This record gives sequence, C-alpha cells and structure tokens, in this order.
Amino acid sequence: MDQKEVSGISFQIDFSQPLYEQILNQIRSAIVRGEIGLGEKIPSVRELARGLHINPNTVMRAYQELERDGLTEKRRGQGTFVTSSSKRVEAFRMEVAKEQIHTFIEQMKNLGLTWENVRAYIDQLLDDDKGGENP
Amino acid sequence: MTDWAVKGEALFKSYGDNKALSGLDLAIPKNKIVGILGPNGCGKSTLFRMMTGLVKPDSGTIEVLGKTPGWRTNREIAYLPDRARWYPNHSVRQAFQWAESFFPGFEIESAVKLARYMDIDLHLTVKGMSRGQEARLMLILCIARRVPLIVLDEPFSGIDVISREHIIDGIIDFIGEREQTILISTHEIHEIEGMFEYVLLMDKGKALWSGDIEELRAQHGSLHTVFRSFYKRSVITNGS
Repeated sequence: MDQKEVSGISFQIDFSQPLYEQILNQIRSAIVRGEIGLGEKIPSVRELARGLHINPNTVMRAYQELERDGLTEKRRGQGTFVTSSSKRVEAFRMEVAKEQIHTFIEQMKNLGLTWENVRAYIDQLLDDDKGGENP
Repeated sequence: MTDWAVKGEALFKSYGDNKALSGLDLAIPKNKIVGILGPNGCGKSTLFRMMTGLVKPDSGTIEVLGKTPGWRTNREIAYLPDRARWYPNHSVRQAFQWAESFFPGFEIESAVKLARYMDIDLHLTVKGMSRGQEARLMLILCIARRVPLIVLDEPFSGIDVISREHIIDGIIDFIGEREQTILISTHEIHEIEGMFEYVLLMDKGKALWSGDIEELRAQHGSLHTVFRSFYKRSVITNGS
C-alpha cells in the first residue's frame, strides 16, 4: 500500500485493487468529508497522474465520473474545481449513505434477520462501545 | 483488422533446441500502454524482434499495424532494444540532431522537452554519462518520435529508482497528446505498474494471460501476487 500526497489530498493506492475506483472513491470521500473545500481547485489529471505514477487515462476516467456525480466542474482553461454547492455535496453524501444502507439491509435479510433483530443488535453494540469509553 | 497494434497467431520460433516461442497468441489493442511481462527467457525479446522483422517465425502469423513486419512497418515503430547504447562522442544535442536526420517522425522539440522532464543536460557527452543517464537518452530518442508504435525492451534494467521515476514522468507528460501504442517489457514492475492499461503475461514462449489490467487486478490482485501464483502454477503444470 502506497501513501502519497498530491496537492494536499492524500491517497492510499493499493495495486491489488482496480486503480480507477480507488482514485474515484478517495476524491469523493475527501470532498464529502470537507478535506477539499467547496469551490476549491483539484489537481489536474496530469499532476495527479505524475504524483501517483498512474496512467493519465485512468485518472481521467475517475475525473469524468466525479463530474457526472456533480461533485466537480471543469472551467475552461482554468482546471477542475469542486462544486460550490453544499447542497450538491450533501445530496451526494445521502445517495451514497442510502445505497450502503440498502446493501446492508439486503445482507441482513439474507442472514434471515428481521429489522427488529438488527436494531436490537446495533443498540447493544453502541451501548457496549459507550461502556468501553466510560467504564 | 487494423484495430490491433500487434496481432499474432500460433507463433513458433526455435533456435536449435531452444524454443523461444511455442504457440504464442496475442492481440494487443491500439493506443494503450501495454506491459509485456514475464521472467527472463519467456520469449519477450524474440517477440519484439519478430515485430520489427529481425526474426521470422518458424510458423504462425504476425501482423504489426495490420501489416506483415518489414521495412515499411519499421518506419512506424520506434524500437528500444535491450541494453541499447549510443555513440560515445556525441553530446545529447548532437544525438538529437543525428536522430532528426535519420529517424522517421523524430521531433527535436519533443526530445528537448523530454530531456528537461527527465533531467538530462543537452551538453552532456554520452561517454561521460552514468548507465541511468544513457538509458534515459536512449528512451528519449525513442519516445520523441511521432510514430504509432513504440516498443521498449527492458527500459529500466540497471536504472536507479530516481531515473525510473523521471522516465515515468516523461512518459506521463507525453501520452494523451498523441495516439500511440507503447509496449514495455520489464521485470521491474514496481514503479511502472500503475501506468499499464493492458498486460500480456508470458511464460515459456506462450501467453499465460492477457487483457485489461484493471480486470486482472479485480480478479487476481496485484501484479506481484499474479506473478507468484501464475508462474508457480505454470512450473507445476509443466513439471508434471
């Protein structure tokens, strides 16, 4: 696992997993977590490719997907910028959260658990966690 | 079909008892950076020599850019042979001028730009160069050519990590600006593996696996893991 920083964004690239998804997901999280601020410029395809030693075409594919997400926008002659709309980022965060919750629910169903079982289990885990922090 | 940069079917080539290629099939797509990977003696260099018409297959067919290899196709290929050297008395600038008059498609402005990326002084003389500097010069002489196919045989052998990184930076700055297929054979994959888009894994003169490298990663993990598992398996199957 390689940890690298390019223009203030840190990346952890694992060459045993598809690279396109890693770049995409790591920039998505950096935006959603606010590590790259609204309206901020992100590195150019070439800068990121050089910084990570990854094929520029792979980086470009990830950038195109970010644009489709509505998280970034290209400005002619100036580069790529994070959207300045906090609404858009929030909407994206919810989309991802919903998607993951759906997957989670599906998996729990496949295990034969009811929502009550799952909720009781989550509550118990949260209680245990609190107990660990304040004995 | 001209959708392929290189297409070969059932290629065989022996040197005496030594089988260099034994039934190699390949179909390399155009305009990608392609890794041709495998242990020493797997047939990579023989394949490259065949693509440039330097050796003929004993049987099977090979097409480069849709044509049989020969002097016509060689005008469209920039080939960096393994352990290539240059005239010791030339300076970098003289080497570029020489290349401009003899190499089809050589662009001196691109060469000068690449030399800057790769940290090579134009006044440096070849005989005063380190192994890594000369290797970088040889590489510049190849990739500064506007030709559809670039073939680099072990461009990193004997080159230190810093030089390798300079080389990769130079390649990154170049691709995307033109339509080119770049074939790179290497057994030192560490710095370069993120650059490949397509790989052909070879062993004992045959293809073990070929395809999109992202698919390879999704199915089998890193190239290191792939190397270990694929080649161990092929040793076992061949030994039994």
